[in-house]
Amino acid sequence: MKQLGLIILSISLSIIGTAQDTASEHFNKERHLDEVVVTANRSERKMGNVAAPVQIVSQKIIKRTGSQRLQDILQEQTGITIVNSTLASSLNGYPNPFGQGVQMLGLDPSYTLILLDGEPLIGRNGGILKLGRIATGDIRQIEIVKGPSSSLYGSEAMAGVINVLTQSPEKRKLELQLHQATHNTWGSTVSYFDKINKTGVQFFLNRYSSSGYDLDKTIYGKTVDPFREWNGQLKITQDINSKMQWLLSLRNFDSKQDNNYQILWGGNPAIAKGFTTEKDNSLFSQLRWQLKPQRKIYFRAFYDDYRNNSFVNLDKTTTRFDETTFNQSIIKPEIQYERVHGKNSYVAGAGAYFETMDADRYAGKRNFTTVYAFTQNEWSLVNNKLTFIAGGRVDKRNDFEAKFSPRIALAYHPNEHWKFTASSGMGFKAPDFRHLYLVFNNSQIGYSLIGAKQLATTLQQLKQQGLLQTGADITPYLGENNLKAETSFGSHFGANYSNEKWTIGLGLFRNDIKNLIDNFALPFTRSNGQAVFSYHNIGRVFTQGIEISTKYNLTKNISLSGGYQFLDAKDKDVLEKIDNKELYKRDPVTYITTLVKRSDYFGLFNRSKNSGNIKIDYNNEAKGWNVYARGIYRGRFGFMDMNGNAIADDPSEMVNGFWLLNLAASKTFKQGWAVQCGVENLLNYTNPSKLSNIAGRILFINLNYSIINKNKKQ
Amino acid sequence: MKRGLFLSALALTVLFVSCKKDKADPTPTTVKTKSISVNFNPASQFTFFSFKDTTVVENSDSATGKWDFGLRLTTFLVNSNSSGPGNAGVILLNTPYDNVYSASEAGYAYDTTTTQRAIKDGSWYDYNPATHAFVPKAGKTFVFRTADGHYAKMELLSVDYEPFIGMTPQKLIYKFRYVYQPNDGMRGF
Repeated sequence: MKQLGLIILSISLSIIGTAQDTASEHFNKERHLDEVVVTANRSERKMGNVAAPVQIVSQKIIKRTGSQRLQDILQEQTGITIVNSTLASSLNGYPNPFGQGVQMLGLDPSYTLILLDGEPLIGRNGGILKLGRIATGDIRQIEIVKGPSSSLYGSEAMAGVINVLTQSPEKRKLELQLHQATHNTWGSTVSYFDKINKTGVQFFLNRYSSSGYDLDKTIYGKTVDPFREWNGQLKITQDINSKMQWLLSLRNFDSKQDNNYQILWGGNPAIAKGFTTEKDNSLFSQLRWQLKPQRKIYFRAFYDDYRNNSFVNLDKTTTRFDETTFNQSIIKPEIQYERVHGKNSYVAGAGAYFETMDADRYAGKRNFTTVYAFTQNEWSLVNNKLTFIAGGRVDKRNDFEAKFSPRIALAYHPNEHWKFTASSGMGFKAPDFRHLYLVFNNSQIGYSLIGAKQLATTLQQLKQQGLLQTGADITPYLGENNLKAETSFGSHFGANYSNEKWTIGLGLFRNDIKNLIDNFALPFTRSNGQAVFSYHNIGRVFTQGIEISTKYNLTKNISLSGGYQFLDAKDKDVLEKIDNKELYKRDPVTYITTLVKRSDYFGLFNRSKNSGNIKIDYNNEAKGWNVYARGIYRGRFGFMDMNGNAIADDPSEMVNGFWLLNLAASKTFKQGWAVQCGVENLLNYTNPSKLSNIAGRILFINLNYSIINKNKKQ
Repeated sequence: MKRGLFLSALALTVLFVSCKKDKADPTPTTVKTKSISVNFNPASQFTFFSFKDTTVVENSDSATGKWDFGLRLTTFLVNSNSSGPGNAGVILLNTPYDNVYSASEAGYAYDTTTTQRAIKDGSWYDYNPATHAFVPKAGKTFVFRTADGHYAKMELLSVDYEPFIGMTPQKLIYKFRYVYQPNDGMRGF
């Protein structure tokens, strides 16, 4: 990764947006309603009984795509868009070092909680988790819950939760896969499962490497530099007795990527080279104790250690040009209790996070401690046709006010065809490390960006060192400078219909978000004339929309499905300025300046009003054939302001809509072999400057071999 | 900012108090669109501009009254007090350029000290952290009393990066348009 934003001027937190969903991607009526989801209620439920908008992506579907990357799988789901970080990359076309994340309900990636087997992934650099850390070969099921879910999951779950569930021990089986694709991309995977008496084992190992790609040959270096990744997991289950089961899960991720780009050294062009290494190790232990048939208790402990180090040296020397580190670790004990009592299902739990952050842009090592407790009850009423859920969660972080997040939900299931749902809840996102503790002095430009909690001491230091302009009045900033949590209130209404042939879902959603954290310039500068920035709670936005998903079983073997999302995501303060006739636009050609009208305002940047997908699945179990074709559309979205009002309101500020067409075909042979080949991005869509994460057309082939396979697998 | 609002209100009140049609054959106003190269490095030299001469003024003349305003990255100087010996002043109006018909008689802001400059950094542009673009805010007009006591109105149109190698930009290209009123005592554009 060539990364490095030199100019990382500000780092505005940016915003939000929307979308929601209703029905799942995935069909097959009976099976669909019987599928078990855990994320929506934090305990196992059948899909048909869940009151929240949940989408499931099964292992079968993941395998049919042939894809090796989680973001490719997620991108094919209605209402999810993979977006680049809104944080600064650098000029001159270097890719964004923070990677891509999930935009859900139109909200930025930092507002979607991503869980792996129910536990948080850490290492959000600039608010984004690199999704590539999860190998698709190990995924059993992905559960996507949309809408504020802080009532069960706390901070970050403002847009929703994506829970990636990995495989578990099962009967003895060995699976091998070899993947080869364009750009000299290789993947090899070993999965082993076994059950010996009361002990279960699952082992997964994946190596994935690529030479990267280059979308702009006129710029030195590649758009994505060569990398290699190792991904491993070992799960052991032990039935202690008929009532107790113990689970141990160890995970390891290790990646290394080249850094290679052009710099200016002593006034002359030079090359800087180095590596970015990322290491993530986690340990999860759980004891499940079935106290009585109706009562369960879980004891959990989770530990995760994430390290990211990046450096470049002046080529062929040991002269360090740049280096950054970002280390985070977490210890999280938790206890959860579940009880089914007549027609009630009750779940409650409590736990704590002990987080440590050590990054060179933060002022030293930082610790956060959060304690939390949640409770939720589910009532089954009217002959089990009506489900009512009420719950809430309290989070208290040591440096931060306690936060209560309630939620209620209702599901009505009048007959086997129809289901109606309604839910409302609150979500929040606590200020993160950078908002509170960042102390970043940009050496190239000279400005400073200071986290709220560091502001008083840093300003005093700067003043003592004579680095602030003379006469700067820092007294208003010597207090606590507390930031509030960003909070949202969201509602969702859904209607689903299904019969043998059809599944149709309609969802309406609305989210109002306030106290968004953004940076601001202090009213004085450094002595070099450059600005001093800090953070404050300022923004108010809303996101609302409609989501439709449908599936039609054309024949026994062929099914068609489609999804569509309409999204309207806007900044309330911008609307106010428009109404007050304070916001102008300047025609880039004629320079004629006029007032912005409400109808001109397209909405928040990086949000597409229209997005959707079409999928055709041909599956012939008997003959071992599967063909899975998907078209994913991302509609026009605002990219950057050009006409002087900091909003998207002019065609020149937009990226046009585009289609990604993906196709995979596989043939399974009786002896345990399967061959799959396919093409991703068939139309070869690229946009080097604005969507550098899209690589262009990729051809791939997968060879699968499974021992102890009874028959087919794909 | 508050001052700007106050001044713009003040300016509006004198909008139509423009020149009388008596003096014969006034010199026509200068109407120009210019692009100038401005240093990105905040420790480097300013670029100075003269409305009257329609040109960038040599840096050796920084201590003279030959220039009206100066720029470096996003720091904006007017030739007065702490910035230079000139008598220039400026009002940043929240009024579109085409709707500014004349300059106010009074109410100009000066670079009182190096920390109290007439134009506050950040008051006239939006910075985009994702693209690093500095985009001048639409609907803002700079009304100048120039260093030699004439009047001008000016609008910043764009700020672009000059192509550069490596990761740190060297130069910004400021594009702006202005009308300069060369006749003594006349404030209309």
